[in-house]
Amino acid sequence: MTADFQPAVLVIDDEAQIRRFLRLTLEGAGFRVTEAATAELGLGAAAAARPDGIVLDLGLPDMDGTAALAQLREWSQVPVLVLTVRDAEDDKIAALDAGADDYLTKPFSSRELVARLRAVLRRAQPAPESTVVAFGEIEMDLVARLVRRNGAEVKLTAKEYALLRMLVQHRGRVITHREILRELWGPHAEESSHYLRVQMTHLRKKLEPDPHRPRHLKTEAGIGYRLVEA
Amino acid sequence: MRPARRLPAARAQGEWRGECALVVATLATVTVTGLLLPAGDYVSVGFAYLLAVILLSLRIGRWPILLAGLLSALAWEYIFIPPRFHFQILRLEDFLMVSVYLVVALVAGQLAAEVRRQARQERTREESEKLARTLLDSVSHELRTPLAVITAALENFETAPASTRAEIAGEMRTAARRLNRLVRNLLDQTRLESGSLAPRLDWWDARDLVNAAVEGVADAIADRPFTITVPEEMPPVRADFALTEHALSNLLLNAAVHTPPGTAISVTAGLTPDGRRAFFTVADQGPGLPLAQRALLFRKFERGKGARAGGLGLGLSIVRGFVTAQGGDVAFDGDTYQGAAFTIYLPHSAPQPEPE
Repeated sequence: MTADFQPAVLVIDDEAQIRRFLRLTLEGAGFRVTEAATAELGLGAAAAARPDGIVLDLGLPDMDGTAALAQLREWSQVPVLVLTVRDAEDDKIAALDAGADDYLTKPFSSRELVARLRAVLRRAQPAPESTVVAFGEIEMDLVARLVRRNGAEVKLTAKEYALLRMLVQHRGRVITHREILRELWGPHAEESSHYLRVQMTHLRKKLEPDPHRPRHLKTEAGIGYRLVEA
Repeated sequence: MRPARRLPAARAQGEWRGECALVVATLATVTVTGLLLPAGDYVSVGFAYLLAVILLSLRIGRWPILLAGLLSALAWEYIFIPPRFHFQILRLEDFLMVSVYLVVALVAGQLAAEVRRQARQERTREESEKLARTLLDSVSHELRTPLAVITAALENFETAPASTRAEIAGEMRTAARRLNRLVRNLLDQTRLESGSLAPRLDWWDARDLVNAAVEGVADAIADRPFTITVPEEMPPVRADFALTEHALSNLLLNAAVHTPPGTAISVTAGLTPDGRRAFFTVADQGPGLPLAQRALLFRKFERGKGARAGGLGLGLSIVRGFVTAQGGDVAFDGDTYQGAAFTIYLPHSAPQPEPE
């Protein structure tokens, strides 16, 4: 992100203190911040101000956050980061299905918030698609369909390659198990999540320095997977 | 865990038998004593019976006392009222006396039983009020302690030299985490009790479950030698991710709280030899648990004797609730390991391998 580009972020949350805190944190990180206290005001502000990104609390007083998101998605593809509470896996999955780009569980660290927000904003930035992606010891050449680890080629099966490519294309962001299952195993595979578990175990064994404590191919508790580059 | 008490039905039956035996024994004593008196003095015997029934009613239940009233009236009439040893009454006065006796014995017995029932209710109510008060005290203590730390730390923070600020912030973070866990436990216990817990079972990597639990309590076990053992060939297990993760992290926190700093903790996962259950064992090398405490382990608000300050005693009760909701079981093992070990068992069946 260049210094002169200050992305505008709309914060939709009914708690005044959370809004103040988010404004403080995000302005400190170089964002411009506007606020809305209800879903209705938020949708209005999203239409009028056309922000670069939205931070949306799922527990709003006037409308279910997921329903508000679905409404927003009817006319806007603006990146959205939703805020949820712990142990609400179903809500998180519903929000991701409704078009959220990522989620963050309260209480969260402000560093995490800024990192996640940058990741979802990057998706919307018109960056040239690179054909070679690198993370850790791994280099993935999407044109040659090759994966190298420390320069040496790693043999992946077709499924493993497809899984890795999907994670790489969404790098930094969470993908739900259902999305992966649908794309890689077809529309009726949602009950076959153990296939995915097994493939992920194989992939980690081939790519992770310590497959038991994955650094890049991260599990999002009860939701899905995320490729972390750092 | 098998409860060491008799079934309620069996206990009620045993009690009832004992009370009937008491009734028969008391009435027999009065009868034998009455037979020793001059034959004409049957009115005194009547009073003795009445006294016996009323005394009995202070001790025994509603139905045995009814039996006592009827039996004593019959015995009095048959044995003592002329003509003796006949169910027959010759004089109108005697008939009235037996009738009045029966009414008084029955009414007094039932009244006494009612009074005792009310007293018992009152006692239960007082006990539950006392429990509620203790609970409220301990919940408010648990909530206020971290709040007090945060409030005081914030005040210090503004004036503290830069060198100690990191430390103060650390204290605040610890307090906030404690508060967060407490709220989570209270919410979980409420979810358990409201019966709104609907496990969402899916296949998960056992390592992912363990790692998520460990990450959630990383601050509490940071200073400890820590090992995770999961067999290479461990298949995916069927579980509710959040419930299992939370059960595991409660066991980890327990191990951290109840053992001295620096004591090793380990998590071991695997399948039982018959392959029908997956297990997760959290073991520590602390002092273990005395036998007397083991039976109470999984009860709500039960805290170990000599346990360090802090905690509501909800941890293990939630573990059990979350695990049994998934058709599993949790057990304590104090013998295989050096310290205390808790094992979560989940039903397991091998998943269908993916067609090539």
